[in-house]
Amino acid sequence: MGYLLLGLIAGLAAVERKGFLQAMLSRPIALAPVAGWALGDAQGGLLLAPPLELLWLGSVNLGAALPAHEALGTAAITGGAVLAGRAAGGVSPEVALLAVLICAPLALLGRKADRLVEIWNERLARRAEAELAVGHVRAAVRTNVYGLALPFAIAAVLAPIGAAVAAAIIPAFLAALPGAATPLRLGFVAFAGIACASGAKALRARQAPTFFYATFAAVLVLGVAAGRLP
Amino acid sequence: MSGAAGREAAMGAPARVPALTLLRVFWRTLFLQAAWNRRGMQNLGFAYAIDPALRALYSDPARRAAALARHLGFFNCHPYMAAAIVGGAIHHEERVAAGEEPEQLPNQYKSTLQGPLAAIGDGFFWTALRPFFGALAALGALLFGGAAIVVALVIYNVLHFALRAGLFHAGYEHGDALVPQIARLSLPLTADRLRAAGAALCGAAAAVVALRAGAGGGAPALAVAALAATAGYAALARGARLLPTAYVAALAGICAAAVAGHFHWSS
Repeated sequence: MGYLLLGLIAGLAAVERKGFLQAMLSRPIALAPVAGWALGDAQGGLLLAPPLELLWLGSVNLGAALPAHEALGTAAITGGAVLAGRAAGGVSPEVALLAVLICAPLALLGRKADRLVEIWNERLARRAEAELAVGHVRAAVRTNVYGLALPFAIAAVLAPIGAAVAAAIIPAFLAALPGAATPLRLGFVAFAGIACASGAKALRARQAPTFFYATFAAVLVLGVAAGRLP
Repeated sequence: MSGAAGREAAMGAPARVPALTLLRVFWRTLFLQAAWNRRGMQNLGFAYAIDPALRALYSDPARRAAALARHLGFFNCHPYMAAAIVGGAIHHEERVAAGEEPEQLPNQYKSTLQGPLAAIGDGFFWTALRPFFGALAALGALLFGGAAIVVALVIYNVLHFALRAGLFHAGYEHGDALVPQIARLSLPLTADRLRAAGAALCGAAAAVVALRAGAGGGAPALAVAALAATAGYAALARGARLLPTAYVAALAGICAAAVAGHFHWSS
């Protein structure tokens, strides 16, 4: 049931991401908590949402360029972490990091799949022209919405597969190497740190380095000086 | 007035598209990229969006099919900004249906505006407003939890839908006079400020991550987070690829802890 739900959420997110709406509902910051909540661990989704959002902040459709499929990656990572967390006592930083390491490449696979979707849509465009040529106006117009089917299907299949792989590997890995938990936590910290850097880099502002480093230093100094770490 | 348009006027086609039909068209603009393809790009989406208006304007099936065929041609724009062009195309189609303008004018309007509006939309929405709210929501989630995400997304969508609907309305009401209306919004200048503010939010998020790591794992954890953020930015700015760099950073963190051996993590 969990995998079906994850597939449905991933499919809907893939549709919202490009074909319909584009209201940030498929962005990692929204998708990870929703997927986590649907699978019974919203907190687990919340742990992953900020670093994944910042990691893929620059993942946008500019012209004909195809970005990494951040929605597919997020759905698989969150699904994998939550499902693995059921056997490992919840989504901890070490579980989250392993899910990222296992499932993140799906975002790149999703980009390749997007190219296939475009080829499929070219066929739909030709079909619409053919329908119009024989006077089937309604059929020609309706062809547009058929374009939502393939992105949905691809994400609905790939995300649960990725999550299943992660859910199989992570508990076994942690059981076999219990000493790895602490280093993995530090790995998650490093991952979250570079995700913030990726977010700043994605903003493409001329003064981005200045603003990024200055705010980082100021908040860090203030936090340490206040003696009360958030 | 052309013969066909004269016949349409004689058949009593409406001079203006009804408000409910306009609402339907606006709803359909949300599907603009449903069948995005490299040949016509958003052509199917544009034809799908404008079809209810064409149905209202052309009661003659042959004219309606001809109008639809016009809008099945190549079209590509930013999906939010395209709402303005859909509105403007209806503005012109009303005049074509009434015989006041030649049939090629809606397409001329589309091809003139799609490039500049795409550039403005990409620059403002995709590389400034949305990343800014993404960074804001991420920092909010780190500090205040899930409620901050909801607040950030609600504000983003109020803004984005207001602009999308406003652009559609402006295109429909003003047609060619749309450009000065958009220029008045000063979107490029606002985009610059949002990008700078977004970078600052990412810096603050990195500091929060480091402070949290420090609270849980002491100074070494804080140092690892700080190093990953600062050196990571430098590496990415020099052209390092994102995912490999993220893997290297995570693995470096793991190795650092493994080498340290007796690393303490109290949380």
